[in-house]
Amino acid sequence: MAGESTIGPDGLFHNAEVTTSGRPVLRRNEVECFLLSSVDLDSEDDPPRFASLRSGNLILTTHRLIWIPSSSQSNASLPPSSLPLASVTHIFSHKKSIKSMFHSPRIRFQVDSVVVVTIVFRGKGDFDGFLTKFWECWRGRAWEEDEKRESEASGSGTGAGTVAQGLYGNDGTVRMVGLAGILRKEQEQWESTDKSLQDAFQDLNALMSKAKEMVSLAEKMRQKLLSAPSSSQNGSGDDEEMGSKEEMQQWMLSVGIISPVTKESAGALYHQELSRQLADFVRIPLEQAGGMISLTDMYYHFNRARGTELISPDDLWQACTLWEKFDVPVMLRKFDSGVKVIQNKSHSDEEVMSRIRTLVTKTETLRTGVTASDAALTLKIAPAMAKEHLLSAETKGLLCRDMSPDGLRFYFNLFHEFDLTNLHFVKDFGTYGEWVKATTLLSV
Amino acid sequence: MRRRPGIGGLQKAAAARDQYRLLGENVAKLRTDMMKEQLATFKSQLEEFARKHKNDIRKNPAFRAQFHEMCAKVGVDPLASNKGFWAELLGIGDFYYELGVQIIEVCMLTRSLNGGLISLQELCSHLRQRRKKDREAVTEDDCLRAISKLKVLGSGFEVITIGKKKLVRSVPTELNKDHNQILELAQGQGFVTVEEVQRRLSWTSGRVIDALETLLEEGLAMIDNGSKDGKCQYWFPCVSSVYSFVGSDT
Repeated sequence: MAGESTIGPDGLFHNAEVTTSGRPVLRRNEVECFLLSSVDLDSEDDPPRFASLRSGNLILTTHRLIWIPSSSQSNASLPPSSLPLASVTHIFSHKKSIKSMFHSPRIRFQVDSVVVVTIVFRGKGDFDGFLTKFWECWRGRAWEEDEKRESEASGSGTGAGTVAQGLYGNDGTVRMVGLAGILRKEQEQWESTDKSLQDAFQDLNALMSKAKEMVSLAEKMRQKLLSAPSSSQNGSGDDEEMGSKEEMQQWMLSVGIISPVTKESAGALYHQELSRQLADFVRIPLEQAGGMISLTDMYYHFNRARGTELISPDDLWQACTLWEKFDVPVMLRKFDSGVKVIQNKSHSDEEVMSRIRTLVTKTETLRTGVTASDAALTLKIAPAMAKEHLLSAETKGLLCRDMSPDGLRFYFNLFHEFDLTNLHFVKDFGTYGEWVKATTLLSV
Repeated sequence: MRRRPGIGGLQKAAAARDQYRLLGENVAKLRTDMMKEQLATFKSQLEEFARKHKNDIRKNPAFRAQFHEMCAKVGVDPLASNKGFWAELLGIGDFYYELGVQIIEVCMLTRSLNGGLISLQELCSHLRQRRKKDREAVTEDDCLRAISKLKVLGSGFEVITIGKKKLVRSVPTELNKDHNQILELAQGQGFVTVEEVQRRLSWTSGRVIDALETLLEEGLAMIDNGSKDGKCQYWFPCVSSVYSFVGSDT
């Protein structure tokens, strides 16, 4: 405890109480954080402000730095000393230099804004870990929170591993006050979390076995209803079957089984409703995107607009595939690359092709070609869509590609314009002629 | 009695068929009723579970991961639909669908920098930044589940493992084995040179250049011609931890 200082004229260190076995006596709520052996505490200044403490064990707690001479110490005149963390004013950062590689690691810190103490680690240990913990404990300012026991216990949670050592009282018996209470509380917390988790897992298991039953039942029902041919002759029977098939889909959806929309079924009622809703919603984004929007963008916009009760990607996919059954002006389309887009039925391929053709037969583009981003700007569509269009135009034979360090560019396909009977004839009419005109400008 | 062909016989056969059909329908109806009942039982069991453990699922990522694993084993997909019992009662639907939306956002914003390939770590840190206000933690496992759901949208959302890292792809660009090997090599320093690839993988220079050019075109690699030793460096933003993207909330 804070007895008379015996070291140094300005009372830097305080006496530290130790047990008969040499363990420090910790105060209430003080928790040990780190232990290092073979440590010196030196004074940086000249003349030294205090006598060096050589070759002892350094114990870092939440409140103090305690130095205890090792038992092999022949110099028994150096008593165990402690330094309250509250008086530390600065911890110097550890600069690694060539010099520091050859020396023992050392940490310097300033006390009372005046004295600089150096900790020299002569033994083996985790110095970086110590420094980190030193910072933590110093910043933690546990001494200011003596009232709030609980926050201390959580702040110095590292004590969980080393607390046991601090349990000894003055006469070596285990202290049952304060720390024990914290320990008990922690133990209770662990147990309660454990128990509630155990409960949760038990309930989860029970739920899952029920779910399994549902799945097998649903499968049986599905096989029966969806594969059975529409054998009834009267119209009402068809409706009934349709109704039950819809119901079936809905049930399976509820349980969490994705079933594909088949020719016979119209999907769950939910998806039908969603499908109509989507067709209405998609009109405006489609216009803004130039007639074509990727399914991903659609998912993004739709869910953003909804705010809550978001739909799953599968919901969106199912709803879009249903469009072909209804009379809506939009359709789902899949490109070779796997990209799925929504486009206006009126927005046909021919229209885009003609726009591309107009674009690539301009004088400028005959010379330099178009990239996907150029096309996107001119056609006013998303760059990814533009690329898809250019690629499909290439497949149709409208364009040729040119791969260069500048990137991928597309040019009008002039090969069609060649006269196969007279390959070397350079035409001066048609697009061929235009191209010649456009490119010869360069050589002027 | 001799079975008489003719009208009488036909009528009898038709009557028999009708009777069988009616019986079949009844059986089906029984089954349907039973199904309805089972469904109601299941729903109430799920409601009970939700009442007790809805919070656990939200707050405890380990429990959540376990929940998903068990669902997968049983054969149900809790994220299949917004209208499924799972999403409605446990409320996890919105969590994952919203995460999906945010993942799309992050990928769109970073695409110009990394070409559509982003490391899972980086994606998660971007997401955590966006979700600072939410109290629910997002783990890598959650991201992986959200991404697996996004796959159906067809834009190429996929998680690929290269070396030690997991990368999230958000473009339809297919990466072949050569590209993957180069990306793995790039994890060391964030970049590769032609010589390095030739040396380490024992490829011909043509093969190396071809693969690197493709990666450049797709926007996955960036070229640096200004290094001191004059060698051309190909940098890969998706695997390099050197750069950080400071995004703004749109």
